[in-house]
Parts: sequence; structure tokens; C-alpha cells
Amino acid sequence: MAENVQSHPATPVAEAQESYKRFGPGQRFEHIVLLVTFSGLALTGLPQSFAEHEWAKVMIDVMGGIESIRIIHRILATILMAEAIYHGGLLTYKLFVLGRRATMIPGLRDIRDVLQWIAFNLGLRREHPHLPRYNFGEKVEYLAVVWGTVIMVITGFMMWNPIATTNFLPGSAVPAARVAHSAEALLAVLSIVTWHMWNVHIRRFNRSMFTGRLPHDAMEEEHAEELDQILAGQIDEDPSPQTIAKRNMYFFPYAFIVGTLLVLGLLFFVTFEQTAITTVDPAVVVQTDQTLEVSADEGNAETGAAVWASLNCSECHGDNAQGGEGRLNVALANTALSFEDFVAAVRRGPADMKAYSVLDVSDLDLAHLYAWLQSQ
Amino acid sequence: MSRLHFKAWLLAGVGVVLLATGYLFVAMPVRVHAQEAQSAMPSEPTGDNSFCLVCHADTDATAMLADGTQLHVAVDPAELENSVHGSGNEQGALGCVDCHGTDIFPHDSPLPESARAYTIRASLACTNCHVDQTENLADGVHYSAIVNGNLNSASCVDCHGSHNIQPPDEPREKISETCGECHTTTFTEYRDSVHGQALFEGDPNVPTCIDCHGVHGIQHPTTALFRNRSPELCATCHADTELMEEYGISTYVFESYLTDFHGTTVQLFNQEDPNVPTNKAVCYDCHGVHNIAEANSENSRVIRENLLDTCRTCHPDASADFPDSWVGHFPPSLDNHPLMFLVNLFYQILIPVVVGGFLFLIATDIIRRIRKMFSGRSAE
Repeated sequence: MAENVQSHPATPVAEAQESYKRFGPGQRFEHIVLLVTFSGLALTGLPQSFAEHEWAKVMIDVMGGIESIRIIHRILATILMAEAIYHGGLLTYKLFVLGRRATMIPGLRDIRDVLQWIAFNLGLRREHPHLPRYNFGEKVEYLAVVWGTVIMVITGFMMWNPIATTNFLPGSAVPAARVAHSAEALLAVLSIVTWHMWNVHIRRFNRSMFTGRLPHDAMEEEHAEELDQILAGQIDEDPSPQTIAKRNMYFFPYAFIVGTLLVLGLLFFVTFEQTAITTVDPAVVVQTDQTLEVSADEGNAETGAAVWASLNCSECHGDNAQGGEGRLNVALANTALSFEDFVAAVRRGPADMKAYSVLDVSDLDLAHLYAWLQSQ
Repeated sequence: MSRLHFKAWLLAGVGVVLLATGYLFVAMPVRVHAQEAQSAMPSEPTGDNSFCLVCHADTDATAMLADGTQLHVAVDPAELENSVHGSGNEQGALGCVDCHGTDIFPHDSPLPESARAYTIRASLACTNCHVDQTENLADGVHYSAIVNGNLNSASCVDCHGSHNIQPPDEPREKISETCGECHTTTFTEYRDSVHGQALFEGDPNVPTCIDCHGVHGIQHPTTALFRNRSPELCATCHADTELMEEYGISTYVFESYLTDFHGTTVQLFNQEDPNVPTNKAVCYDCHGVHNIAEANSENSRVIRENLLDTCRTCHPDASADFPDSWVGHFPPSLDNHPLMFLVNLFYQILIPVVVGGFLFLIATDIIRRIRKMFSGRSAE
């Protein structure tokens, strides 16, 4: 380590400190919002994606069931989208009002840094690369968050509002969005548990995102170029208050308009569509007491006489329905039964009478039969 | 007490004794026979019905009931003999008293209030022997409807008959026809469905009513429980590769349903608490209940021409392109939902590349640390 410090090219004008300011309170707060929403989204989202696995079922159960975790997932997504809007506004302010450099943008130097870092790790280089304020590892993470959030918001919108989506995109975009949403989530989580975990929790527990400060040796190892600049007194200064005030005159109306539009867009996103009816009526399947589609008026006595003969009713009920001689001597002529009760009786087969299903005699034929009986 | 009184009492006493003796003389053989039968049931049923048939063979025999209707109480002995309870029965023929009890002539029990009430009460006799069916019955909708006062609900004899009971499933379509005697509209729908048509053409595999609804313990089919379980019910046949091979039907239908949003949700409800209702579609919401048609037939609810209407039953605002967001029951490929297929392929490559890259960088970092550890030690 010591040899690395000696090799710094810049001439220090500032005193080396124990630690250096790295993140302001706003950035730290944003990180906590991201930490909470990302973890919550992963915890409620992955079990949905892997719902067929036992562990997913246990997780869903613990979190109150599938419908609750869907609601939690959507609330967290809304918070994350609000944070993204805020971040966009803040970024614009920093770049265009305060005139800060876009230190997160990757460039060719990052490829060089990665290669040097690999070479150093493998012992092919004596020195580790002099990494800038945001090194390649952090840039990858930041861009992954931006890319991931954009993908997740777009595909999430498509799943949240499938009907609105299919108004301007082909229907097959919705299941494609579902696949992308799950896969992107998996990619994000795997990146966090490998790259992020290793870099800021395992190889060194980097507390700067919570305390705001990074110790000297970590600065030396991970941000040597920035450390050199700090020690050389090359610190970015904010523009004069007059310049800021002048730029604010343009920034705030712009931020207000764009911000309002984005927030309205977010509200639209969240509340626009009622995709499906909330309850499905149980399928109508029990029809023992069904209403007849045929009425007694449709009956024709002449046809009814033929039905009477074809079903051989007279065998039990007697010629002309005056009652038979056997056990079933029920007279039906001018029956007092209503048509509905008559049909119900024929269908059920009271006492020892055979039950006649629609296979044996149709409702319409029974109407004819009823008309004939009434005429006797 | 006067002598006259004594004589009168004596005469009355002798009269009573004579009457009682006469009655016992007539009734005894039957009573003894009945008691034997009762104590031996069901292993030694009795087939001698001659005593009962003295009256009940009379085809005009009726009893006037309280509600003014006549209860026909005649029995055709040949009908009973030719039924499953006749002498062809492996366990021997059933006699009248086996089912109707020992309240023999002159029948002390009060008459039933109606013929229907009598039918239902008489059905209780079946429970003496058919224990398993009785246990199931107690969980079923028909029994609970009767218990709750709906005497129109089916009792044993409404489906099986009484004296003329025959095997209920010979031929197989008899099963559904039996249900259709009351459930006429449902039966008509079923008969014209892909399952019903095949049944009446003699297909031995298609479901009859009881294959989905059960027999004696029929569950109410409009509950959340039935709905949440229903995909597994369809899957008992439709995920059976051997069975479906005969019909050339894909068995991927169930698996593909489970991987879809609807199926995933319903399955989770099913496994967590199947009694909680969900609005996510189950098989029959799209395919129909009793009127299921062949998926590619003209009147199918799921062919392309009809699919939008089907979607709109739950998604009333669905746009013309909305049905395409349903992937269908076939795996995505370049031909079927190519966009989904390609997105999936993209991530199948991207994820290993990105995560593999991270792991490689981490590995080089670990190598350096190990080398440093060893070189540090050797320096000391």
C-alpha cells in the first residue's frame, strides 16, 4: 500500500485526511429508498416468478398470500418510480444548474481500468489502476439500476395495464413483457448478490453510503485518481450565486412542467386501468328448478294427441286420460296442475311413474300434450 | 262385586285372551321371521315375502295419505326378483322387511304425510347395508338439501329406483341420463358437448356427470373450493399422457395453464386456502362448463373468432388485440409468440454473460488476495 501512495504523480497541496466526504445526505437517503424498494420488490416479485417452487409458496404465504404481495409489490414499485422521477430532476439540476461533471458516464478509460485491474489482480501489473470518483464497478451498477428501472417500469406498465397496452402494441407484447420483467429481475438480483455484495460488503465493508465518508485507504484503493485530485486541491467549485439564480429561472419552470407530467403519468400508470372484473359469478350449473323456455300457450292439442299416443300414456292413465284400471289410475284430463308443475312431474316421475327426460319427450311436446289434456 | 259383574268381566277376559291368541296365531310366524331377519342383517337377508304379498301383490292397493293423495303400495314380485336385490344377488335376495322394517300388518306406524315424504323415509333403509355410500352421502348436496327441508332433492330411490334397482352404470350413459332426469337443461348442454357426444357414441373414457361431480358425496359446484380445485379436476384426464394420446390432445395444457398468470394465481389459492374466491380464470371460464366444445370447432369459445368475446366475460374493456396476450397452451417458439420466445432467449444469454463476468472479476480479486496472503506470510 505504502508504495502505491508514493507513486502518486500529483503534488499534494492538501493534508491527507483519515476519511473523505463521499456522499451527501440526499444521496444517502436516495440509497436507502432504493435499498428498501429494491429488496421489497425482489422479495415480493421473485416468488411470483417462481411460484411453482415450494420456497416461493412459503414466502407468499408468510407475506399474506398472493393478492397481498401483488399489492405490496405495486406500492413499492410506485415509490421506486417516484424516486426515479426525483433522481432525474436532481440529476438535471446538478448537471445544468451546478454545472457538475457527469462522472457516472462510462468511457473507454473504464475498459482500460478493468483490464488493468484484472492484470493487477493476476500479478501481471505491480500497481492497481488509478480509479476515478466513480470507478468502473460503480458505473456498471449505476447504469444497471438505470437500465433495469427503465425496463422494469415499461414491462411493469404493460402487465399492470394489459388492455391499454394492447391498444397500441400487439397482444403478444404482454407475455413478452412478463418474461422480460422476470428475467430482468433475476439479472438485477444476481448482480446485487454477486457484484454489489462482493465490492461493498465482503472485500471491504464500505460504510460510506450510510456514513457519507470513505477512509483514506479505501479511497487509495478504489478512487486513487479522485484522491490525487483532492490532495492536489482540484475541487470542483459551484458557479457564482448569480449564475445559479439565473439558471434556476430556467430550471424550475422546466422541472415543474416535466415533473408534473411525470407525476401525472405515474398516477395514470397506477390508477388507469381496471383490467378485470373483481369477482367472477359462479358458473350457473344447478338447474333443478329451471325456468321453462316453452310456455303452455305454444301447445297444440292436435299434436298433443299424437304425443299422448306415441308415449303410450293411456296404458296407465286410460284412454282420453280419464284414468286407468291399474295402479297408476291418475286421471289427467283437464288437469288442475299448472304447466310448470306438469312438466316437473313428468320429468321426475312421481310415485311409480317412469321419469321422462328430455331424451324421451321435449318441453315443446309436453306443451302440446298439456294442451291436449286441457281439451279433454 | 256382584256375580253378574264377575261374569261380565270373565267373559270379557276370555274374549280378550281368544282374540290375542288368534292374533298371535296369525302374526307369530311373520314376527319370528322378521326378528330373525333383523338380527341377521345384512348377511342373511330373507327372500320369503309371501306374507306381505297377500295384500301388496294387489295392483290396486293404495293408501290414502293425509294430504289427500293416494300412495300406491303394490309391488310386482317379479320386478324385485329381477333387480340387483333379487335371488341373483351374491349375498342372497332381499325380503320386504329387510328394507321396510318389521312394522308388519296391521301396520302400527302412522301413515306418512305425503308420498314424497314416504319415498325419502324409505330411502333410509338403503343406509342399513350401503354404509360407504351413506357416509359420502352425508357430505353431498342432495342429502343436505333434504335435511334442510327441500323434499324435491334426490334421495337414493330417485336415482336408483326402488324395487327394480339395476346396475347404475350399464350402459355407461345411463349415469348421465339419470342425473338428466332432474337436471334437464344441464343434461341437454352436456349431451351436445364434446364429452357428451362421445359418451353416447360409446366412448369409455369421457367423463359422465359423476366423474367430475362425484357420486354420493356431490359437492356444491358453485363454491370457491370447487372453482379453485377445478383445474386439477380437468387435469386428472387432460394431463394424463397415456389417455390423451388416444385423442391426440396435448397434455401440456395443464402445465402451460399453471405457468400463466391465471393458473399461477389459482394454484396458489388452491394450495393456501381453496375456500377463498379468486377472479382469475379457471379452465371452464374459457372453455365452458357443460357445453365444452372441441377447442377448434366452430362453436368453441376459445377459437380465435370467439376468443375476444370469451375474454370480455371477465375483461369487459378488452381490445381487439387483447386475446393475443394469452400465450395459449403451446410453448412459445419462433412460430408461436416469437417476441416472447426471443426475449426469453435474449435473457438466457445475457444473464450468464453478465453474472459470469462479475464472477470472473470477483475471482481475480480473490486470487490477488490469496497471493498477497501467502507472499505476506513468506515475507514475515
